[in-house]
Amino acid sequence: MMKKFLAVLLCGTMLAGTLCLAGCGGSDDKSDESAKTEDAGDEGSAEGGSNLEESKALLEEAIATLKTTDNQDMMAAGNPADVPEAVGTPEELEALEDTDVDKWHYMEYLDWDESEDAEFPASPADGQKGKHVILIVHGAHAWTTCYSEAFEAACEAVGMTCDVYDPNWDQSTQDGYVDQAINEQPDAIVLIPVSADHAAQQFKKINDAGIPAFCSNTLPEASAMNQIMAYTGPNDWAQMRKLASTLGEAIDGKGGVCYITHNVGTSPYYARTFGPMSTLASEYPDIKHLDVQSPGFEATAVKQVVSDWITKYGDELNAIVLADDSDQAIGAVEACKAAGRDDIVIVAAGISKQGAELIQSGDIKMASYQSCQADAGLAVRTVAEYFCGEKIARVSYLATDVIDADNVEEFLPCQW
Amino acid sequence: MKKIRINANFINNNRSYMFLALILIIGLFMDKFYTAFNIAAVTGNGSLIMWLGLGFTVCLIAGHFDLSIMYMSTFGALLCLGLHNDQKLPWIVCILAATLLGCLVGFVNGILTTKFKINSFIVTLGMQFILRGGMYLYCNGEELSIGKDYSFNEMLNAKVGPLPFSLYFVITTLAVFFVMVVLRYTRFGRNIHMVGGNLETAWLAGVKSDLVTTGAFMISSASCALGGALNGVYSGAASVTMGEKGISPLMMAITATIIGGTSLSGGKGSVIWTWVSLVAISFLKSVFKKTEMQVLVISIILILCIFYETLAKYRRDKVVGTRPNLHKEYLKETGKVQ
Repeated sequence: MMKKFLAVLLCGTMLAGTLCLAGCGGSDDKSDESAKTEDAGDEGSAEGGSNLEESKALLEEAIATLKTTDNQDMMAAGNPADVPEAVGTPEELEALEDTDVDKWHYMEYLDWDESEDAEFPASPADGQKGKHVILIVHGAHAWTTCYSEAFEAACEAVGMTCDVYDPNWDQSTQDGYVDQAINEQPDAIVLIPVSADHAAQQFKKINDAGIPAFCSNTLPEASAMNQIMAYTGPNDWAQMRKLASTLGEAIDGKGGVCYITHNVGTSPYYARTFGPMSTLASEYPDIKHLDVQSPGFEATAVKQVVSDWITKYGDELNAIVLADDSDQAIGAVEACKAAGRDDIVIVAAGISKQGAELIQSGDIKMASYQSCQADAGLAVRTVAEYFCGEKIARVSYLATDVIDADNVEEFLPCQW
Repeated sequence: MKKIRINANFINNNRSYMFLALILIIGLFMDKFYTAFNIAAVTGNGSLIMWLGLGFTVCLIAGHFDLSIMYMSTFGALLCLGLHNDQKLPWIVCILAATLLGCLVGFVNGILTTKFKINSFIVTLGMQFILRGGMYLYCNGEELSIGKDYSFNEMLNAKVGPLPFSLYFVITTLAVFFVMVVLRYTRFGRNIHMVGGNLETAWLAGVKSDLVTTGAFMISSASCALGGALNGVYSGAASVTMGEKGISPLMMAITATIIGGTSLSGGKGSVIWTWVSLVAISFLKSVFKKTEMQVLVISIILILCIFYETLAKYRRDKVVGTRPNLHKEYLKETGKVQ
């Protein structure tokens, strides 16, 4: 009885202590933030001027000197987004066929209603030097490692510090990390959302806490832009459409195509599946869309899926579009080789070391060029420009290209 | 004054409380651990696994495994969001519909286990695949979200009075305490313990064991569906693949149940022990920010728990060994040959 009493007493004391400490330290988040902003303002008037000058100099130097491993500019300026007029409301477009280009308008173009934008935190305009940023990535992958390292390097070059949280592709874990990041009260949070649909809620939480929220790499749903300071990243839809046009030409505008997707629900899932599918359907109506599968990123699982396709469709299968040019490409190439089907044209979103090697060997026909390190560099540049009080574009895209055997040498050595 | 001996049994019996105390002590050395925001966020985000732990523990006390709990909660979330978005039904109706689906699934699990005598491990393993397939058919693998309807979401996220806890966590905690009262102070609850401890004895005592077991499955599935539906609104979205990456909520619920001290062979356990373990695990995530570290620490604690259980069992056996008459009786009862 005494033991139980002691155990309950110990636990009760700890919980009471927790509540007391929470009461002491847990003042309202927004008041914390406003106090912080006021402090920053006071400091800004005294020291902000010199810090701002130093910050701008650091940023300029980083832009000029930082290079990616394939010798491209790491912090090059992004390209603006051209948004065409939508042909209907989101509900009307939703009813269209998957192969209709117009259906994906609101996913492709981040065509959000700016009048519904939330109130964003004002820039302290005292420079990025000494600021702390938290980067929340989507999950463990060679690409993510490359991105995180480039992000840290770019932050260091411009005088910022950063922490990286990795939720390992799990939505609820990423939600937890968003809360942890808010609790840390950094100067900015850069998030690569696991899910496009869920991003609005995550960014709303960050913005409501008075922390500037930046979205990087994966496109959120359009309405999430109401809560996002700026989006930077690849124009996945444009590069996949470009890749699809080249593929259609390569197979003479006829035959059957199958698709291996990215993780279901993410923006690359839509861009890398329905981008090429709708482009092929509009430009090459004789091409048949045979199947779409989501086996993930393991070569063995992809090999199994592709082997099943070869068995099921036989000569009807002429091309495969992959969402990834590393493990997915290895699995697909192995399946085609095992079945003796060298005629199947494989294209993929890229570009990784494995992807480049497979292009050189002729096993995959072409891949889209998406610079991982420049992606990180552009995010850091945008955050730094925000801290410097400069006007930042709400959407900035990376430059894109299609890589094949003729130009692959220009993009070596690969970044990841 | 009575001397307190910190022995294996003491540790074993109070390990969930000690686990929580340990994490809270570590938190003292962490920056911004004891803030109202952090406590509300950690407990709110951990509430889903508390519902899963609740369901799993009730079934385990009844002597059965329910492996369908994770997909049940995901289906609950998807159904709730889907009905609200597509049929424009009020939230309360959507949540009730999800809970009813949970009751139905639990009923099927219970009937297959009790009437068709199929092992609950197999039944619920199969059920999780049925639920997964059903979810894909229901939403075509797409993620469902609350859209711009933030009213109920904000209500569940809001702190309750001066407490640093969200409404979602408070509802979860009340549900756990309600089930604890049912298990401890009602005939049905005591029958669940009896059926899990010794099915034959329960039958001889006139307990309708099939009914009790089915009831336990229904509580398990209904609580998971209800928790999942609330979690869908709380977090703002749900997808079929929820919980498949990272640390699986199912594994977390099983681990917390074992750490809490619920017997794997049934008959002994408490939903409060599991709840305390899950609160500790939720705070542990806040202490160790890297997923790998979280997995490592939880695994070490799980191994320590099993080690202490083994040690306690060894001590019990040793006591029996020093009392030959009792030992003979023990061998006779268990049918073991010396």
